[in-house]
Amino acid sequence: MNALSADEMERFQKLSNSYQPDVQGPLVSTKQSSHSIALDYSNADPTLATKTNALAITHPECRIMKGDGNCGWRAVAFGYFETLFALRDTLRIETEIRRMKSLTTLLERVGLSDSIYEIFVDATEEVLNRTHAAIQNGAQDESFLVDAFNEGYCSDAIITHFRILTSAWMKLNPNRYQAFLPMPLNQYCSSRIDPVKTEIDEVGLQALIDGVIEGSGFGVEILYLDRSEGDVVTPHQLSSNSPSGATIRLLYRPGHYDILYPVETLNMAPIVNLQYGMTSDYSPWDQAALGFDVNSSLMAIPNLMQDTSFGMGAPMSPMPSVSPTPASPFRMSPQQDMYQSPMPTHAPIPPIPVSPPPQIAPPSSAPPPMTSLPSRSSDGPQIRLNPLVMKPNLSRSLPATTPFKNSPYNQAHFQNSDFEPIHWEPHERR
Amino acid sequence: MDYSMEDTQNSAPDAQQASKLNPSGQKSDTQSVTKRLQAELMQLMLSPSPGISAFPDADGNLLSWTATITGPTETPYEGLTLKLSFAFPNNYPYSPPTVLFKTPIYHPNVDFSGRICLDILKDKWSAVYNVSSVLLSLQSLLGEPNNPLNAQAAELWDSDQAEFKRHVLARHQDLDDE
Repeated sequence: MNALSADEMERFQKLSNSYQPDVQGPLVSTKQSSHSIALDYSNADPTLATKTNALAITHPECRIMKGDGNCGWRAVAFGYFETLFALRDTLRIETEIRRMKSLTTLLERVGLSDSIYEIFVDATEEVLNRTHAAIQNGAQDESFLVDAFNEGYCSDAIITHFRILTSAWMKLNPNRYQAFLPMPLNQYCSSRIDPVKTEIDEVGLQALIDGVIEGSGFGVEILYLDRSEGDVVTPHQLSSNSPSGATIRLLYRPGHYDILYPVETLNMAPIVNLQYGMTSDYSPWDQAALGFDVNSSLMAIPNLMQDTSFGMGAPMSPMPSVSPTPASPFRMSPQQDMYQSPMPTHAPIPPIPVSPPPQIAPPSSAPPPMTSLPSRSSDGPQIRLNPLVMKPNLSRSLPATTPFKNSPYNQAHFQNSDFEPIHWEPHERR
Repeated sequence: MDYSMEDTQNSAPDAQQASKLNPSGQKSDTQSVTKRLQAELMQLMLSPSPGISAFPDADGNLLSWTATITGPTETPYEGLTLKLSFAFPNNYPYSPPTVLFKTPIYHPNVDFSGRICLDILKDKWSAVYNVSSVLLSLQSLLGEPNNPLNAQAAELWDSDQAEFKRHVLARHQDLDDE
């Protein structure tokens, strides 16, 4: 049996011990097109080819995890941080920092000492803090997370943190998992969950989501790519959290996990930072051109436009187009005359107690005090009216659009030979 | 608008600072390893377990330690003191330390160079293991061999305990303190 000498055996043993599978690529890739996955399977089983092609349409982007045995753990951990970052909610991150700290009680309860778990918890907390800072600084994308997860030590520490939390969670909830395990739970944890670089299996993944992710409120969806019947990958919800909310989506191919991004997230509305008070260098209203056509209705809002020919300036100097000549008030153009008309041009500046006296020159960028309210004189209306109301004959000045087809005012009815006017019948209930 | 410019200025200051402080990832790894090993050393000194001890080598390199375990009672190793060396990798605790018996030992799981066959030092290594848990595992391994690296010793363990003990004592040789 032993055809090899002891020396040779030793040499082979050494080679075997030091063998590292040659896995290329970063620990966590940047977002890339899911078509690369479809390409991988283009010559494979037709079921897989069909499913991956369909996947590339429903989930156009993906993020590839390095297949070093940690891929499932890493995909969930990265997805957790990325989802948290995408929400851009610093309060939520603060909540998560507190929650992650409180989860250490699980570790205490299974007898781990803080000198052991401290560095792992610290790593998670540090990346949560980085995420917090990135949101505050308005980071454009999640590249800082990709960097963090590609720092070997940081990445390993977070994954270990998630591993030991999962392990502790399972040991504290044995009834939930033991029935699914092929061995005693403690042995399962020490051989399948705790060891570095052991792949996550389905029970472990469920426990990771139950114990660590569930509390964040994120949903977790796994899309299984296998040769089962059907044209699309099989989705599976692993979390009781609403799948409509923030969801971590994973693609499972036998033995490997990656992250997927569905179509919706690509078209997400620009994220608005609600901490608007943080910025003070807004360009003033009057300098930046408004991004929309100013119409006469908008002009009815006092002080909206700090145009010198309007507002403050109006009572001082007669305006060129001040005579009420409403040729076509419905043009989408500044129809200042429509607003000006009720206002006598010779009206004195009405004293408005809240505004500073006009003699004090306001700072150039600040809106000038509103001093040009229509005077409450008897020759104008006592209320501010919509410019349309000022038209002498409102009905005639309505836009000459074709009446609605089914409108009783549509005279085309009368040209219809089958036309029958509505007759009111006394017995009819209206 | 030049977003790439904005990126570098607005991205997390922590991340930038960290990369400035630690131009190479290697350095920050070493700091983390050192921190972890110091914590372990503290733990071993404050609450020592009976029958095991460990201390960094005198050369000031925290990555290599010498440890001792006492042979458990009711085993062929009872009363013997065994020395071991620990060499910690740069990414400890995410890779196991290399542990060797320095004291010559006759045991099914240990070869004649002192190399140990123990799953937790290989594929079952977990980052929550530490020097103390490795030593405790090795101590229990002395009484419960499982994986024959030394086939002859394994056979003898099963067939003749008295003869096995004679081999143990014949091989054992107390090491002087270095």
